[in-house]
Amino acid sequence: MKTGRKKGDIWLVTAVLAVALCLFLLLWLLPGDGAAVEVTVDGAVYATLPLDTPTTLDIPGKNGCVGTLVIADGRATVTHATCPDRLCVRMGPVSRAGQSIVCLPGRIVVTVVGGTPAVDGEV
Amino acid sequence: MLKRTGCFVLSLLLLAVGLAGCASFSAVSPHKTVWLDLFDTVSSLTVYGVDKADFEAGAKALHTRLTEYHQLFDIYHSYAGVNNLKTVNDNAGQPVAVPSEVLDLLEYGVSAYRRTGGRVNILFGAVLELWHDCRVTALETPVAALPEPAALQTAATHTDPAALVIDREAGTACLTDPLARLDVGAVAKGYAAELAATYIREELGWTSALLDMGGNVRAIGGKPTIGGQTPFTIGVQNPNTDSANAYLLTVGLQDMAAVTSGDYQRFFMVDGRQYAHIIDPDTLYPAAFVRAVTVVCPDSGLADVLSTALFTLPVEQGLALLRQFPEAQAVWVLTDGTLQYSDGFNAYKK
Ligand SMILES: [Zn+2]
Repeated sequence: MKTGRKKGDIWLVTAVLAVALCLFLLLWLLPGDGAAVEVTVDGAVYATLPLDTPTTLDIPGKNGCVGTLVIADGRATVTHATCPDRLCVRMGPVSRAGQSIVCLPGRIVVTVVGGTPAVDGEV
Repeated sequence: MLKRTGCFVLSLLLLAVGLAGCASFSAVSPHKTVWLDLFDTVSSLTVYGVDKADFEAGAKALHTRLTEYHQLFDIYHSYAGVNNLKTVNDNAGQPVAVPSEVLDLLEYGVSAYRRTGGRVNILFGAVLELWHDCRVTALETPVAALPEPAALQTAATHTDPAALVIDREAGTACLTDPLARLDVGAVAKGYAAELAATYIREELGWTSALLDMGGNVRAIGGKPTIGGQTPFTIGVQNPNTDSANAYLLTVGLQDMAAVTSGDYQRFFMVDGRQYAHIIDPDTLYPAAFVRAVTVVCPDSGLADVLSTALFTLPVEQGLALLRQFPEAQAVWVLTDGTLQYSDGFNAYKK
């Protein structure tokens, strides 16, 4: 009886640890499309918009720069900007957790949030 | 008996779920801050395994330090009470007293010229100035013209690295050619990121951090995992920025740096043609051998220098240069979109 219980315990502990490992891997490895974009101007949150709702938002940034953010097909793009260099317009659409669009002159940062980023950084 | 076993199973399960939750929570919830006021680019700092107060204090101290470098290494702006690289440029022809950090950077720049066979030259400012003006005009207005070939040729006669005289004892830097200009664009960010990495490790004592200074990514340690660290995952961007695949490949970085030089971000258009921002020192025109090249090596300063140097060379010549740096590996994105790797790059592919 005693040894039976012990054997059962070992089996149980193994099974439970396996479940824990699976859960951990699932949470850890699951990259995914983000759920929303967070818009900040000079570090302060200006808006948070869900990616599954098509919309258009004019973001009044610093130095008179206004960026037009368009959300469509689950992706966010700065389609127009009044900043001098318009590098933000060229950053392309973002949809994956952790990706961002930045307007340096306007101090505007659009970051995809609400998911585990697939990468820790990009070059 | 059954009841007891049931309780036992349930409590173990709860414990397991809790552990899994905690492990992933601490692993995926680092502290992060973004800076928009350094080196005319976007920087971010991500740190694992420290509490919020420590992170905020350390990040602030690092930002102060980096702001100092930003001001000292700036060639476009002047700052009250600071003699920086613009001061040296503005006073070309006479020695200028500058802080030792500036002399350190300039010496690093001089060594970069030697080590890259002249592909990276911090005395190239006279030529780069013409392209900088062209680029700014092209970005801000629809009408822009390429620099005049004659103007480029004339400027190129004022790019001799010997025109920079560094006097450690006097604490001065001097451009002996009054028409020569310093431009540390290919050096300063990576160099500063490396100084920052040393500060993070040695002064702040952080062992798991990722510093990104405008695409100069430096990993301090790795990402925490159960019982140790695993390399950070860094995506190498697809030059076709509107493609569904944001990354062409991912690399693993642990105590390593990665830098990309590409034609797809800081480019500008003149007469419907696209030009990269990196200038080939031989032709004096934007380099167009490859779409992008990414360098991985332990030192962020060297990664920055090498990625610029390789961007100005055909792949074969780039491979030859890279062989002189056994600690560095590279991947090229060719004009047709295919990838070419240096021999040892596989060690970093994820
Ligand atoms: Zn912008």
